[in-house]
Amino acid sequence: MYAFLIRRLVHSLVVLFVMSVVIYGLMGLMPGDPVDLMISADPDITSEDAARLRAIYGLDQPLWSRYANWLGAALTGDFGYSRLYAQPVWQAIWPALTNTLVLLVSSLALALAIALPAGIFAATRPYSLADYGINFAAFAGISMPPFWLGILLILVFAVMLGWLPAGGTAASAGVSGLWEQLQFLILPVASLTIAGVGGHTRYMRASMIETLRQDYIRTARAKGLSESRVVLGHALRNAMIPVVTVIALDLGVLFSGALITETVFAYPGMGKLIFDAIMGNDYNLALVGLLMATALTLIGNLLADVAYAGLDPRISYEELDQ
Amino acid sequence: MSAPAITITGSPGRAVLARFMKHRLAVASAIVLCLLVSLSLLAPLIEHLLGLDAEAVDLFARYAPPSAAHPLGTDELGRDLLLRLLYGGQVSLFVGLTATIVAAVIGTTIGLCSGYAGGRIDAFVMRVTDGVIALPVLPLLIVLAAVDLNKLGLPDELLGSGNVSLYRIVAIVALVGWTTVARLVRASTLSLKTRPFVLAARAQGAGAFRIMLRHILPNLASPIIVATTLSVGNVILLESVLSFLGLGIQPPLPSWGNLLTGAQETIWEAPGLAFYPGLLIFITVIAFNFIGDGLQDALDPRSRDSRTAARN
Amino acid sequence: MTTFKQLLVIGGLILCTVFSPTGATAKDNLVIGITQYPSTFHPNIDSMLAKSYVHGLTRRPITVINAEWDTVCLLCEELPTLENGGAKLEKTPDGKDGIAVTYKIIDEAVWGDGTPITVDDVIFTWETGKHPKTGVSSTEGYRRILSIDRIDDKTFTLHVDRRTFDYNNLSTMGLLPAHIERSKFANPEAYKTQTAFDTDPMNPGLFMGPYVMTEAKTGSHMVFERNPKWWGKEPAFDKITVRVIENTTTLEANLLSGGIDMISGELGLNVDQALAFEKRHGRKYTILFHPGLIYEHIDLMLDNPVLQDIRVRQALMYAIDRKAISERLFGGKQPVANTGINPLDWIYADDVPRYVHDPARADALLNDAGWTRGANGMRVNAAGEPLRFEIMTTAGNRTRELVEQVLQSQWKEQGIDIRIRNEPARVFFGETVSKRKFSAMAMFAWISSPESVPRTTLHSEEIPTEANSWSGQNYTGFSNPEMDALLEQIELELDREKRRELWQRLQHIYATELPALPLYFRANSFILPKWLGDIQPTGHQFPTTLWVENWSVNK
Repeated sequence: MYAFLIRRLVHSLVVLFVMSVVIYGLMGLMPGDPVDLMISADPDITSEDAARLRAIYGLDQPLWSRYANWLGAALTGDFGYSRLYAQPVWQAIWPALTNTLVLLVSSLALALAIALPAGIFAATRPYSLADYGINFAAFAGISMPPFWLGILLILVFAVMLGWLPAGGTAASAGVSGLWEQLQFLILPVASLTIAGVGGHTRYMRASMIETLRQDYIRTARAKGLSESRVVLGHALRNAMIPVVTVIALDLGVLFSGALITETVFAYPGMGKLIFDAIMGNDYNLALVGLLMATALTLIGNLLADVAYAGLDPRISYEELDQ
Repeated sequence: MSAPAITITGSPGRAVLARFMKHRLAVASAIVLCLLVSLSLLAPLIEHLLGLDAEAVDLFARYAPPSAAHPLGTDELGRDLLLRLLYGGQVSLFVGLTATIVAAVIGTTIGLCSGYAGGRIDAFVMRVTDGVIALPVLPLLIVLAAVDLNKLGLPDELLGSGNVSLYRIVAIVALVGWTTVARLVRASTLSLKTRPFVLAARAQGAGAFRIMLRHILPNLASPIIVATTLSVGNVILLESVLSFLGLGIQPPLPSWGNLLTGAQETIWEAPGLAFYPGLLIFITVIAFNFIGDGLQDALDPRSRDSRTAARN
Repeated sequence: MTTFKQLLVIGGLILCTVFSPTGATAKDNLVIGITQYPSTFHPNIDSMLAKSYVHGLTRRPITVINAEWDTVCLLCEELPTLENGGAKLEKTPDGKDGIAVTYKIIDEAVWGDGTPITVDDVIFTWETGKHPKTGVSSTEGYRRILSIDRIDDKTFTLHVDRRTFDYNNLSTMGLLPAHIERSKFANPEAYKTQTAFDTDPMNPGLFMGPYVMTEAKTGSHMVFERNPKWWGKEPAFDKITVRVIENTTTLEANLLSGGIDMISGELGLNVDQALAFEKRHGRKYTILFHPGLIYEHIDLMLDNPVLQDIRVRQALMYAIDRKAISERLFGGKQPVANTGINPLDWIYADDVPRYVHDPARADALLNDAGWTRGANGMRVNAAGEPLRFEIMTTAGNRTRELVEQVLQSQWKEQGIDIRIRNEPARVFFGETVSKRKFSAMAMFAWISSPESVPRTTLHSEEIPTEANSWSGQNYTGFSNPEMDALLEQIELELDREKRRELWQRLQHIYATELPALPLYFRANSFILPKWLGDIQPTGHQFPTTLWVENWSVNK
């Protein structure tokens, strides 16, 4: 197993390196450079200014040499300076990262708290009215355009009812109590949860139905155990494996996927940071942000495989390695 | 004679249909979708019947309420909302369907070859797939938005037609969306190629190409169909999100996504403008999801077992 | 039944909110909503509207253009002029026409940490500004200053290498505190990352306005509190929070739910959103519309052989109804433009060609130019080629997209086929426009200051090319010797009346030659609570916050 882990880690590092080249290349392929954007914003910039600024920002060098410089510095722990936020990259990323983690962890926890019971409940009564209802609700959440959902939530709960703030963070409103902080989280978390809960419910349901068909469950039932003991005591652990896998696989997507929610709720997180960095031509920030998302995806993949093989004795690491 | 393992004996089509018909939500969804598709396709006819021009701007009839002339009222430039929605439906459905089909074809080809070849080729292809999954979609979109299509030698008529943004989206979604199907197909291929009927065919001297096409592919049809159906809805959602970010279908070509995005700023003054496209996206996506669900039940006989299992 | 009841409840709630006076009480704490976060806080690196807006609260330029569009002193005692002897004509050391301008900094002016503002700061700012490695965006203004004489701690004389009419305007020089920044400038190349404005942005010594910044959360908000060392009039609020909310629907929702008190006009709702807001909430809020120096226009690619024909350009103007657009889309709040010069500017010329909607004229001009209507009503030339243009603008800018579609429809009536192709701002400005890659039309806006000489957009030397590393903003490729001469003369003409004549001629050429199609001047829309008074929109790049001490609370 250690050999497997090490080999996969090495693979992941290689993929990460290749991705950094690809991302840097993509950013370089994108039209215009930061100075072009400065020129269009400031009519007083002369051609000498433009050439001077390009030299200052190193934009007069070819792309590969810029990448080599960045990589050299990055390997020593210096990930560069964010032009857009006029801060070292890590300093710009750190607050956004914590914000996003708060948002994502709470919405994931909430989504699972709803999805697991709902999925199990539906799986034990397939094709019943309750199952149809849960299925419908699950699909309804997935099928709403996310920004549309966010705006609706704001309209109803912030503007019409006035119960909750219409976006931002507690700090932006100058309050710091726990309840105040929670208030600002409720709508964005709800919005992410509604969009995410359906998928988890569906996975839980499918996986539980599959597990309940296994022989050992039949045996348990034959032994005369109560249905709830069978489901929660015997089936749940195995039924969780695919669900955990899917969550792990989605890590990277979650990370940058909150962009829309963050935009609608004026919540300063990673999704928005990466998007703005790309749109604002901030190579260093965009690169580091995207690489973090990539790394998370890779870690998620690895975790999924480990969990899969670790929890299910029928699968060997050698098989996974192929 | 070893028949493909998973397909049902007897009259498979009818059995599948019968099982599908039992999924009431899926049936209802199929009906709703057929209705939406035909209405969208009939848009020019409806335009003619109403005696309207879908593109005619009338600055004196902005935000008009529903009336006999304009069944759903008019938009921010005095255009008929119903017609805009129907033409938008053409675009959104076209994007959703084409992009997923293209992605499915690419994914199937890659997955099939990779899984059948196995070994180093397979390992390499799967690492590339991982890379593509991790690929940032946004920079890709911006790069593609800037590619000079004239340089690629595409015909001028195509570029001038105002549909460029549409093809770009289809291309981008297909470029990043093939991975799901590829993984699915590859995994199934790995297991199918060791099945007796494949081994038998190989023993009889069938070429790799023939085995993949004749013996493996038919057994993959169900998961591919299900995965593709389920992702049509996602693509329609993705298109709306891209519109929200200003990277989607460009006006004057309407799509449900850009109609919805355009309306969010005036949501207070003209809620209907945002309500209808949002509702149509919702209905369409949920319908595709239910159909996918129904197809899964219908095409995968094990779920029928689960039904009987649940009864005892 | 239940749904019906719920509907009633929600309906009732809507009514309640409509009639309840939310957030309409005066307080010591003002929360402003804007749509953009400043990228750097350094005053002279990267010009950005959001930065000017928050610097208005915390900093003061030496001179400024006020709401009446006059240049006035903020940090100086009296504006130096040739008439009052503050400015004197002189020869530069190498014998050219130069000018010496003497300013006296207000005696009590101090930085937020109590250090007096002195000539040292001015000289230091000039040194950083003209240094080629600092990353200051525009060095032209600094390089024109040949030397600075120190008369005493508070008085200095600038020796400038040319006699421009705005010789006494020092508004673009963002004064730097030498006592904080000098050590950071020890290594000029590292200055742009070492400056205290970004490494220590809450240092009160960086500010000299009524407020100092006490908190800044990237992408979210900034908090400003009273500057105890401020020497001027005391502002009304103890604390001002500026919240950044990019999505305007959310911005509006925050206003309605009391999350913010006002929406800034400089970076807020566009006019049609504000008009819609006025319709529903006009009684509860003060809504100010102020047209300004944001000139929306369509740059024409003059290398395009079809557009080289002036008849075609004029016909394009006659074919569109800009008055209807202004009235129907913008409630008449955004006036039609004849040239890039705003009617509120004193140099505005009234008698230039105006291009009122005139289909017959457009028809005649196009027929004359050889573009006649074909079988399907669309125009073709003798060779059978269609009269077709591609128009581009920034994707996602809803107002521009709407105007684009109206224009397309109006041009279609004249048989002109318009294809729309929009790009993200990033691509549009970063590549298509700045490298002159648009084939026919590019719609965007110029933001300028009163009586600003459009040299970079109209002078033939300012056409971006590979050779000049794509600088200059004459994207159309307009080249007119008389225009070039005028641009050079205007800048150096000190006599107001003579200058006015030159300006008139310039506008006449512009309106006749049409290097760009003028559309309208954008208006800023301020949405303010009823209890807030005395905000005076300026209509130019100097934001209302520069006069924040005059804002008043009506209890």
